Amino acid sequence: MRVRQEPDVKIGLRYRWQRRFLTWINRRAPPARSVTLDQRRIFIFPSRVGFFFFLCLLVMLLTAINYQNNMSFALTFLLTTLFVIAILHTYANLAGLTVHAVRTKPAFPGQHSEFDIRLERGRQRDHYGLRLAWPESTECVINLVQADSVEVRLHTAVDRRGWYNPGRLLLESTYPLGLLRCWTWVDLNLHALVYPQPLASADLPGLATQHPDGAALPISGSDDFYDLRNYHPGDSLRQLHWKSLAKGQPLQSKQYAAYAERSLWLDWAMFPGVGTEQRLSHLCYWALVFERRRYQYGLRLPDQSINPGMGAQHLEKVLTALALYRGGSPTG
Amino acid sequence: MNSQQQIPRNALVWMIISLFTLAAPHVSRLPLWVLAVYGVAALWRSMVYRGLWSFPGRLAKLALILCACAGIYASYGSMQGLEPTVALLLTAFALKLIELARRKDAYVLLFLGYFICISEFLFSQELLIVLYSVLNITLITTALVALHQPAQHRFNGGSLRLAAVMLTQAFPLMLVLFFLFPRIGPLWSVPIKRHTAKTGVSDAMQPGDISHLSQSDEVAFRVKFQGEIPPRSKLYWRGLVFSRLTDGAWRRLKNHEMASNERWPTPITIDDEPLRYSVIINPTQQHWLYSLRYAESEQAGIKATTDYLLYSSVALEEQYRYRAHSWPDAALEPKLSDWRRRTELQLPKASNPRTRQLARDMRAASASDGAFVAAVLAMFTRQPFVYTLQPPRLGSDPMDRFLFQTRRGFCEHYAYAFAVMMRAADVPARVVAGYQGGEINPVNRTVIVHQFDAHAWVEVWLSGRGWVRVDPTAAVSPQRIELGLEQAVATEGSFLADSPLSPLRYRSISWLNSVRLRYDALTYQWQNWVMGFNSDQQYRVLQELLGQLDTSKFILILLGSGTLVLLPVAGSLLARNRIRTLSPLDQAYLTFCDRLSRLGVMRSPGEGPAAFAERAAQALPQWAPLLQRLTEIYCDLTYADADLSVTRRAQLKQEFKLGLRRLKRARQAH
Repeated sequence: MRVRQEPDVKIGLRYRWQRRFLTWINRRAPPARSVTLDQRRIFIFPSRVGFFFFLCLLVMLLTAINYQNNMSFALTFLLTTLFVIAILHTYANLAGLTVHAVRTKPAFPGQHSEFDIRLERGRQRDHYGLRLAWPESTECVINLVQADSVEVRLHTAVDRRGWYNPGRLLLESTYPLGLLRCWTWVDLNLHALVYPQPLASADLPGLATQHPDGAALPISGSDDFYDLRNYHPGDSLRQLHWKSLAKGQPLQSKQYAAYAERSLWLDWAMFPGVGTEQRLSHLCYWALVFERRRYQYGLRLPDQSINPGMGAQHLEKVLTALALYRGGSPTG
Repeated sequence: MNSQQQIPRNALVWMIISLFTLAAPHVSRLPLWVLAVYGVAALWRSMVYRGLWSFPGRLAKLALILCACAGIYASYGSMQGLEPTVALLLTAFALKLIELARRKDAYVLLFLGYFICISEFLFSQELLIVLYSVLNITLITTALVALHQPAQHRFNGGSLRLAAVMLTQAFPLMLVLFFLFPRIGPLWSVPIKRHTAKTGVSDAMQPGDISHLSQSDEVAFRVKFQGEIPPRSKLYWRGLVFSRLTDGAWRRLKNHEMASNERWPTPITIDDEPLRYSVIINPTQQHWLYSLRYAESEQAGIKATTDYLLYSSVALEEQYRYRAHSWPDAALEPKLSDWRRRTELQLPKASNPRTRQLARDMRAASASDGAFVAAVLAMFTRQPFVYTLQPPRLGSDPMDRFLFQTRRGFCEHYAYAFAVMMRAADVPARVVAGYQGGEINPVNRTVIVHQFDAHAWVEVWLSGRGWVRVDPTAAVSPQRIELGLEQAVATEGSFLADSPLSPLRYRSISWLNSVRLRYDALTYQWQNWVMGFNSDQQYRVLQELLGQLDTSKFILILLGSGTLVLLPVAGSLLARNRIRTLSPLDQAYLTFCDRLSRLGVMRSPGEGPAAFAERAAQALPQWAPLLQRLTEIYCDLTYADADLSVTRRAQLKQEFKLGLRRLKRARQAH
């Protein structure tokens, strides 16, 4: 038991340190859509090359001492102070830059979300070798030369529906000499929307006998009364056929007819006995299918409904609603 | 390979340039094949860049490294010593270029470049070399900067500018460190220059040695006198005393060849003021130091020898500076010990019989030793002896051949013959080797002694007077002593015949000569203050500047100078003109919004000025007219720009400003 406890303690400690670092950095550099880099946010430390350089300087110094060679002393000291000067230059390469969150492009799980960021310079100087990356994203190295701003796009693989938070954006640079690494972690408050994973289902109930010329489909949500059926949990209160209840019959709900060429309703209730995530996946699948077939379709979820429509904007609205159903994926 | 690891072409070009500039000053010390390696390296790497060749494989690399090591071993005969080490460094630099694929390799290459700069200083710290090294360091730093400018594939000078700026900014702090860093002695012994020929006068003299040395225009040493410079005919720089003649060569007495009671110089009584001077001597790889007679030095590491010479306890591997004082008229060794007399009379049996006979005859005809000396000198003057830089070779019994047949010789011939004649006639005599004269630099009043000033003369012991300097060359060619070698051999045209480009040959061109002398004066300052800066000098300078030295003062100076240098640098970097995104008018409007927000009305994003004014007026009815008016002005100035005259604009701006001030007061009243 003891053996097992040790790593736990370690992990706990590490976790606590990470937590502490995060709260510290959040207080120091709170999330914002645009962040201008200043001394509160920029960190600087010798890079690995910098330490190698120190080692070289040490050997040079020993050479100078052992040969009593003044010019070697001079060169060693010149390079030492060059290192000190490089601190300022490396810092200046990041300082004054403003990072703007521009936009994100929603994606399906398994695809890549796109994050667009704009870097803007605050001073009339050139910035070189700026490396941008989120902890899980692709990286990008850019220069900001003879332009006031530049836009970059980073990609991250996403796997769960809902808002994807990429974490803090790392912006680092070792320009001009590579001896020092200057970096910052900015939280741009930029989230990418991840839609549910589309999942084909057996034909949509009632859609099996699909007529191109527009058969009436038992899809709830339309105006024309079609039939009554026994109540299923999840049916809307508005659909309940109170009259039959008053007559002492079992609770029934009204079914309305919709015509395929007019408008279809994608309803939460269409997939009885299926888990929430799977249900959303099916709805997502059908929304995509309808959009491709250029049908009019609406969406009805337990907590909201979207009137029928079509087109890219409408699809986005529908998919967003699905993605954010109950605040996104429960495990995410 | 990710984009960060790639080497931009711009950086590659700078690296290849620095490859060649780094090797250039080493060329004379390198075997030729190393230069070939450089050519191949540059070609190979550029072919790799163009995609025509590929990087060397692991096996090829190994083979190249082994070949380089073997080549260096073959060229130098060993891997020890400074020269093979530097050759190895340079070859490694070239080979590294071939396999330069990633940024990591580039760092190794460039840091190696800095090392090569340092290794150049181990051979020479001359002003020109240092200036050239500054260029090299700038080039390497440029390549380092270019390495961090990704996607800069066109060759450009932007990185050069930044590198130069950074090095310039680093320079003042470097000076501070240079003067403050404690100069401690060597920590361990290091490989020395083994393959450099020893320059200057050597410890044995055969006819032909000094005339050979006189082909060189290198500077042997520079002297700065305190007070007047003595006339050049008095400037006999004694370096070595040759008391033994064996196998046709004059040699100095080794310590073990002396009787034990003879190893210390006999003290000399002197009472007048000495000549004081300091000498900066270029490395000779030898121990002896040059001084006027009779010299003493209080400097640590300098010993006095029995023949009144100064002797350094370590070989002069580096340029060396020493102070000495001399009494030129002091009598040396007025009493000669028996052992000394025997030694200074020794002559190999049965050599030069005619010369000995001549000497004995002439001594018999003279009244005293002094008269004998004068008679021999007169013989050199009267008979057709020629002073020449191109003396004929002499076989066995060289002095017989010289005195009776060739009669053409350089100073060592005359000194040799004179000393042999003296000894043959029982007059103690010895040959002294060193330099005679020197060029007086009018710019800084230093005496520059060149290798071609090398000279040999004789010291004769006369009872009551001690060792007396006799220069038989002066009898043959008085110009040599009065004016120097150039005038003495002017008719022959042999002065520096082997170095047609030496600036010393063009002393008649006055502007060229004045440039040369100015540069020499600069070199002297450089040698005195920079190259020769040592712990003594450091202590003196620091104490003069700062008074009593202690650690806290050191730290204070370091911090102070650091702040003094870094603040302006930081200022220039960070206070660079900001890009204005807002016009002054827009800024004024933002101030207006800010003032209102303090009064409790916030402008929401995207709210236009008119809408905001309306809302604000409702919230703050007592300020409504002012708010409306200011918004009106802002809109007029922003949108109705063209319709307004300049004076009207100014008026409106003024009104806006006054309005803002009222709002500020409103806040205070609030």
